[in-house]
Amino acid sequence: MGRYHFVFPRWSNLLLPAIIVFALTAPPYVVFMVAWGFSPKTTDVGYMPTQPVPFSHAVHAGELGIDCRYCHNTVEYTAMAAIPPTQTCMNCHLQVHPDSVKLKPLFESYETGMPVEWIKVHDLPDYAYFNHAAHVNRGVSCVECHGRIDTMEVVHQVEPLSMKWCLDCHREPQPHLRDPDLVTQLEWGWAMTDAERIAEGTKWAEINQLQPSQDCSTCHR
Amino acid sequence: MSSGPKRQSDFLLWKLPRGFFYVAILMTCAALIPPALIIRARSTPRDSRRIHLIQNMDNQPKYKGQQQNILFRDNRAMRQPVPGTVARSQMVGDTHFHLGTVDGSYATTYPSQVTVDMDLLKRGQERFGIYCLPCHGAIGEGDGPVHNRAMMLLNLAPSVSNGTTWVQPKNLREEAIASQSVGQLFFTISNGKNNMAGYAAQIPVADRWAIVAYVQALQVAGDASNESVPGADSLPEHRIVMDEDVTEAEVDEDKEGNGS
Repeated sequence: MGRYHFVFPRWSNLLLPAIIVFALTAPPYVVFMVAWGFSPKTTDVGYMPTQPVPFSHAVHAGELGIDCRYCHNTVEYTAMAAIPPTQTCMNCHLQVHPDSVKLKPLFESYETGMPVEWIKVHDLPDYAYFNHAAHVNRGVSCVECHGRIDTMEVVHQVEPLSMKWCLDCHREPQPHLRDPDLVTQLEWGWAMTDAERIAEGTKWAEINQLQPSQDCSTCHR
Repeated sequence: MSSGPKRQSDFLLWKLPRGFFYVAILMTCAALIPPALIIRARSTPRDSRRIHLIQNMDNQPKYKGQQQNILFRDNRAMRQPVPGTVARSQMVGDTHFHLGTVDGSYATTYPSQVTVDMDLLKRGQERFGIYCLPCHGAIGEGDGPVHNRAMMLLNLAPSVSNGTTWVQPKNLREEAIASQSVGQLFFTISNGKNNMAGYAAQIPVADRWAIVAYVQALQVAGDASNESVPGADSLPEHRIVMDEDVTEAEVDEDKEGNGS
């Protein structure tokens, strides 16, 4: 018996095309999966935490038609649209549903003075400084960032709130502007065509002389 | 018999060891898992906060509004003013403007900071729509959507209404309120009355005066005669059709129909 000679079997000719196909598909696959999977549209949109009280915006803002600013009354004056204090709920709920089990955390808060620990849904990174008053008073409606809150039983995030998404609007705000008096009318403009909507936005950009800043320091300071 | 080996070499793929097929099938299946997870994440709402692989200083060790600070017993990062102190914007030196009282009794005039004009009334109308309309209704007759909802709840079983009690909000146009001074209206908006809570925390002082002006406008407008409206004669005739009128009209029509 002579020395063992290794001879590649004939099927090994297939390895080269196989390796080429793999090398061509794997990197784009990984790049696409990372870009798609780690996009804020995947990671952030759809965040719908269970709050301590099952508060329904669909009932309060939608059915009853209570203005956003009845509860989030700081939105026109400060950077933050505050979650209302327990007292605001109790304006009505001392009399309406006073024995409700669902509202128990609310009544406990009213008695003890401890806050109801609400979970923040729309949470920007700590290095981004967003100012609600600056936007709302210039005719950017709640709905542009928060969606149709007045139809949501449980609030969830509908926009990515990413930097690209912010800049898209700062570069071309016309489709997102309206009469500042109508910012809390979330259903406004729903039936408009795109052309009508942009015409309306262009009008209000001119009236209010809006030129959204795109400097880094506008949001990062 | 030379055709035997030739036939075997016809299709090289079937010559591959079986292990290659298993690996290829496994890898294809594995490659489908990430897109399946991504599609699921994109199409369904979820309760959990996103996984923060790269922190990027997204959450910094500092406190922003309404955040939690466990150093304090109530877990609030935001603190109440120290007892006995007054924030700069909350000084109540001028009782006429801030409290609606002059020398311990309700003011009968608007404070000097407030100019009653169309702008103030329009501001008042808007603020009334936000803070008063839910209970008092669009024209202040005590029939707002919250009132209607509460009345509906009263008709339901106690297990559904959870002990709801409700007193109809005041008709702001009735004599007892129309006769009140502006100071008293302002005081009621600020501090509440009976079942109504005070709105001093929700509505800034100047806006409360605007609401007072608008409530007075509602009271005047409700009982206004045509003579008090300039150019009322030239306005198109407008008749509010009440349900009763409709039924009467329908009844009349029916009668006429029967007669002929």
